[in-house]
Amino acid sequence: MTDADVVDTAVLTAWVRHFARLVAEHAEELTALDAAIGDADHGTNMDRGLTAVVAALDGEPPAGAAALLKRVGMTLVSTVGGASGPLYGTAFLRMATAAGDRPALDPAGFAAALRAGLDGVAARGRAEPGDKTLCDAYAPAVDALDEALAAGRPLGEALVAAHAAAERGRDATTPMTARKGRASYLGERSAGHQDPGATSLALMFQAAAAAVR
Amino acid sequence: MVGLVVVSHSWALARAAVALASEMLHGRAVRIEIAAGLDEHTFGTDATRIVTAVQDADAGDGVVVLMDLGSAVLSAELALDLLDDGARDRVVLCPAPLVEGLVVAAVAAATGASRDEVAAEAAGALAGKQSHFAAPPPEPAAPAAGSAGGPTAAFTVTGPHGLHARPAARLVAQARSHDARLELRNRTTGSPWVSAASLSRVATLGALQGHELEVRATGAQAQEAVDHLLVLAASGFGEHTQDAVAPPAPRRPAGAGVPASPGIGVGPVWHDRGAPVVVPAETSRGAETEWRRIGDAVAAVRRAVQRVRADTARVAGDAEADVFDAHLLLLDDPELVGDVRARVDGGEAAAPAWAAAVERIAAEFAGLGDDYLQARAADVRAVGDQVLRALTGAPAAAPDGEGVLVAEDLTPADAAALDPARVAGVLLAYGSATSHAAILARARGIPAVAGLGAGITAVPAGTVVALDGATGRVVVDPAPDELAAFTAAAAEQGRRRGRALERAASPAATRDGVAVAVGANVGSVRDAEQAAAAGADLAGLVRTEFLFLDRSRAPEVDEQADVYRRIAAALGGRRITLRTLDVGGDKPLRYAPGPAEANPYLGVRGIRLSAAHPRLFAAQLRAVVRVAHETPVSVMFPMVATVAELLRARQALAEAVRAEGRGEPAGLLVGVMVEVPAAALKAAAFGRHADFLSVGTNDLTQYALAAERGNPALAGLADPFDPGVLRLVGHACRAAGVPVTVCGELAADERAAAVLTGLGVRGLSVAPGAVPLVKEAVRAVDLAVAGPRAQAALDADDADGVRALFA
Repeated sequence: MTDADVVDTAVLTAWVRHFARLVAEHAEELTALDAAIGDADHGTNMDRGLTAVVAALDGEPPAGAAALLKRVGMTLVSTVGGASGPLYGTAFLRMATAAGDRPALDPAGFAAALRAGLDGVAARGRAEPGDKTLCDAYAPAVDALDEALAAGRPLGEALVAAHAAAERGRDATTPMTARKGRASYLGERSAGHQDPGATSLALMFQAAAAAVR
Repeated sequence: MVGLVVVSHSWALARAAVALASEMLHGRAVRIEIAAGLDEHTFGTDATRIVTAVQDADAGDGVVVLMDLGSAVLSAELALDLLDDGARDRVVLCPAPLVEGLVVAAVAAATGASRDEVAAEAAGALAGKQSHFAAPPPEPAAPAAGSAGGPTAAFTVTGPHGLHARPAARLVAQARSHDARLELRNRTTGSPWVSAASLSRVATLGALQGHELEVRATGAQAQEAVDHLLVLAASGFGEHTQDAVAPPAPRRPAGAGVPASPGIGVGPVWHDRGAPVVVPAETSRGAETEWRRIGDAVAAVRRAVQRVRADTARVAGDAEADVFDAHLLLLDDPELVGDVRARVDGGEAAAPAWAAAVERIAAEFAGLGDDYLQARAADVRAVGDQVLRALTGAPAAAPDGEGVLVAEDLTPADAAALDPARVAGVLLAYGSATSHAAILARARGIPAVAGLGAGITAVPAGTVVALDGATGRVVVDPAPDELAAFTAAAAEQGRRRGRALERAASPAATRDGVAVAVGANVGSVRDAEQAAAAGADLAGLVRTEFLFLDRSRAPEVDEQADVYRRIAAALGGRRITLRTLDVGGDKPLRYAPGPAEANPYLGVRGIRLSAAHPRLFAAQLRAVVRVAHETPVSVMFPMVATVAELLRARQALAEAVRAEGRGEPAGLLVGVMVEVPAAALKAAAFGRHADFLSVGTNDLTQYALAAERGNPALAGLADPFDPGVLRLVGHACRAAGVPVTVCGELAADERAAAVLTGLGVRGLSVAPGAVPLVKEAVRAVDLAVAGPRAQAALDADDADGVRALFA
């Protein structure tokens, strides 16, 4: 594949489909992580939501980037069920808003959309860094993405760096004590477990890096 | 009129809450819409449904939205974003608790209140319940001493060792399970208040038998937390009996202790004093990096402790394994973790920060006057050292020496590492015949006496001692004639064992020529190596659980096949009997979650768990089939109760054979574990669908007698020599029509060889170390005598009657 500097509906579709595939493959793991500190439904919920998203994308092709992202967001909002529904849903809806009426995004535009998604999620969940949430993987990922693009690296490489940063952020959630979400009811007992939301978020960036290679 | 919207994860919950609220309306119409569940049966919330519900509920005066928790809140907020501006401004999201809030809101809305008034009324809905519990209890159990008006109580410590590690761990675990801040104070000593969530803090109370402790709590579940603590305290913190936990009264070091592992040992004393870990003088590479290193090390040690806990639970029962729960609690003790975090944030590197925090807490324990609590300082240092070793990569310290090891107690890891060739015996100050150290010493054939009291540790290194692990007799610096008697007995025992070892590799047959295969139970490749060295004819039971426990995802087919292959290779290609995954709710697998069960031993375990996780099962069967193409393999299914279960398992096996695509492996035999009494009684039916039956006497005994082996209050009840259990075994042998083997602990009892072969058992599988002596026991059996005697045993009154027949 060539290095894409245009993120159009085809690239976005490939991204979201790959994300769905990765989540399906890791559904048991995500649920197991959630079983340790939550209500043991993260994998099931995300898999259900993204399966619905793939079905929605199989329908009439969306008119542009924003329409596609909005369709993804709305589908997640009404099919995931758990907290990741409104959180991931918000991320994609904010990305849609950031995309505006452009049919496709350039690398900087895609990075800005991803950051708008992060801002939306953080605001929705009132999450601070270190709260042991998906933001702990999301924030370092978009930071790394911006940094790599600013250094003049192509989008594909920059997303690989973002994915690596997301995984580091995900790993760093293990010793944290949860301060948001159902895991926070466990208090100190949540420490020692990797956060399921941060885990699925890292998959989202893994999928992005794969789609824009 | 203001409309209401109920947002909940559960459709049923929302419906019921609305019904409850409607009772208050007496026919007055309030518009209440529900946005709950993804459907009637699936928990979840859906922002688009909330939008619709808000639109439906809004008759122009606006809407108050009540939510349960988590995604309900997030979805409701998102729904506001999705509404158009005019509609959004008429919606109030109310933070009231769902049920109380809805009832109050419905009443307020019915009276025509505005949406802000309705929301405010609802938000105050919890006040009634809060003031109810803030009031002094009707029958005060203790003078009010609460700091914030929360509930208070007092209780007296009844255990003989006060609030020592195990009860303290239970107390802390329970304190942490409530949404409340629970504090304790020792009224007898006038101690300060400490957090009940911290094991190290609770230990500083120095709570001894007879001390009176005060408890106070604040927070949402304060009353519940206090109530549950009092119940726990009244039960003696779950300690079954005083005898079960009491270390024996100090004795003279020369005298008798608790027989822990049979055999005679004579030799010079050496002490187990582990080398201290050197704390490297490293500098911080940044607080986050250091903190992550600590997190990784703690996680690694937690896995290691959980493994030891699981091993101990397997060989010694859960009661014995509980002590490791205290170690696990120490690993995430808020006091310890908070101290480490503060040091790391202050610029210290991981290892020095950890070492300093551990030492501070250990020193607090050590300063506590009470012998038992001082000994707990050793626990803290031991767990602390484990983490330090993980941080610095220092090798684990195993006790190493020649002669008679003297120690306060041994960890299972230490006991398992003892070299029978060099360690002549073990003398322990604490512990009992059922302690992990004792059981592991037996498994390794090392004579041991436990419960000798702290004085034994004062015997200087190099002093000659003699011990008889069968009677518990210990003589320090024995007189020449005493020494001669011990030495002669040891020599006789050695000759007997030598004879057994010499012939261990030969097959065993009874005097009248009936062959009995003696196999080994193995739970690792290392066990398999020991089994081969001990002359096992086969692996009669491979516990495959060790591949599955304490990991975040299931082992792949390749990994499993590789381990099974290595076990077969270690046994020189002799047959291996792979038991499919045998776990239940007591050892939940993170990747195969199931609902919590009130009684996991009667729940989803063994074949039932495999049936519930077909992918997991299919992967294991593929590994079995793959290896069965290369080496003789038997596979058997645990916890089977019905023939249908066996047929479904065979079906899954047939699918695995198809998936591997190399046809039916030539030597593959399929067996059923007989652990459920009903299965023993249906042996004829099972025999029609299996190549062999393997009786697991441990589980069969506890199910037949309805008595858990690990429960010290029931010690003696779960006796596999019980005639009722033997009748089940005998029936299975008569009815099965296929070979019946026994792989429980009973098989390792030398007396049992005659009973079991007399009943018709033609294969025994035991711990590797027991193989030579069990083969000798088989060679001593004359079936012409043992057969009728075993039949007579079935009519005995009790297990002792059976033993008397075979004495």
